Amino acid sequence: MRDVAIIGAGMIPFGRRDEDSLMDMLAYASLKALDDAGLGDKSVDAVYVANMGAGILQHQTSIASSLVDRLSLLPAAADVVENGPASGGSAVKNGLLAVASGYYDLVLVVGGEKMREVTGWRATDFVATMTHPQAEYPYGITLPGMGGMFTRLYMEKYGVTREHLLAVSLKNQEMGALNPYAHVEMTLDREGIFDSPHAVVNNPLAADPLHLYDLCPVSDGAAALVLCPLELAKKMAKVPVLIAGFGQATDTHTLQEREDPTDLKAVTLAARQAFEMARLKPGDIDVAELHDAFTILEIAESEHVGFFKKGEGGKAAAAGKTRFGGQIPINVSGGLKARGHPVGATGVAQIVDIVFQLRHELPGNRQVKNARYGLTVNFGGFGNNVTAFVLKRVEP
Amino acid sequence: MKKEIAITAYKCKQCGRIHYPFHDRCLDCKGRLFEPIKPQGNARLLAYTAIYNLPWGFDQRFLILGVAEFENKVKAMGQIKADSIDSLKTGMVLRPSWEPVRVQAGEDVYGLKFEPIP
Repeated sequence: MRDVAIIGAGMIPFGRRDEDSLMDMLAYASLKALDDAGLGDKSVDAVYVANMGAGILQHQTSIASSLVDRLSLLPAAADVVENGPASGGSAVKNGLLAVASGYYDLVLVVGGEKMREVTGWRATDFVATMTHPQAEYPYGITLPGMGGMFTRLYMEKYGVTREHLLAVSLKNQEMGALNPYAHVEMTLDREGIFDSPHAVVNNPLAADPLHLYDLCPVSDGAAALVLCPLELAKKMAKVPVLIAGFGQATDTHTLQEREDPTDLKAVTLAARQAFEMARLKPGDIDVAELHDAFTILEIAESEHVGFFKKGEGGKAAAAGKTRFGGQIPINVSGGLKARGHPVGATGVAQIVDIVFQLRHELPGNRQVKNARYGLTVNFGGFGNNVTAFVLKRVEP
Repeated sequence: MKKEIAITAYKCKQCGRIHYPFHDRCLDCKGRLFEPIKPQGNARLLAYTAIYNLPWGFDQRFLILGVAEFENKVKAMGQIKADSIDSLKTGMVLRPSWEPVRVQAGEDVYGLKFEPIP
């Protein structure tokens, strides 16, 4: 198997993009990644498109075929990868395996989703289609609803408090406000969403005990990467970023069938596989992008990947250990919480953000100093399909 | 008239693990033979939430949902009949029923509802 590196990364600002179609967004992000790689008019061998909902939200299928046509990448092989909110991670995996095997040399991976063109009701229902069709969906359960149940269990078992959740929310909004690609470029004020009597209006319950500002926004957006063998990457202009480790694991579809519903086994296993492949440990990681669709998930994932012991993640967040400049900076991009969560794009966008970090390209207020190793966790369903990547800066 | 709870759970004939929903192979021992069983008795509340951003198809202000375990160890999700989530507590005993839980294409869809037993 060949070592695989990332030589191009691109993203468009996430948010509400009424003026752009899904195909526009996929094309813009792809061109940014291809240009970033310095490929000029050169084509690629294969394209993997991560997307969860075009068939439902846009009534459009076979979008990978459309994209290669639009980008004049014909006759490149083209596939859509759908794995719920972990579609991005799964698409990058497909690109990784294709290049590592030697079958393809140059692969474009792009993830995108356009969620804001339907009403909030429809978008919530669309995301809920990943719940079990008989045992969960008919009852009206939503992903935030699952997050609410998980949060209460985590609070009861580990003593996580609203203060801990708040620390994640404030941190990620603060960092998102510095990120030109973020959906929500707005800092939050603790007084306004927690302390003041008006907080109940500003920050109402969304899925008890989670409040509005514990949840990521519903976003449009796209992000893209170009992969190639490491040996080829070393000849390119940009600092290559090696995909040093990858892991993926699954868990039961319904939460009720897990022996301990607070145990995110698929996160633990995926991260462990990625660390083993990279021959690194959690303590080696300089910067991480975790899947904080809900604030509780950043806390729980920070424990399950091994940054903190079980029950310590909330306290660590409240103590500033996961802030920019802290012990392990998590979601310096603002995370899903502020950068946004166009579901098919997220897993790719997390890696794009880590590539920017490892190439030392970000402004000083967001660049983790001397960052060499990064981790991403892309969380599908409610933890029933998780991908993890360990990325490494290749010194020029 | 009170309707029977139309859920079938599956007990692995090899190791005894109870599954709901159905699996083709036991999650523990991979066994493929199951005894169909019905949920029995009341249920104990394991997890719950109230959601305020409802999906398409629900025309109400909020919805209380939970997962509960029946006396014969079948675990299932259902809607909870309570005026406020504040009246709920993990571990409390609930009375199950089979009632309309949503309307789809103009038809009632039946499912589990749980009501706290005072």
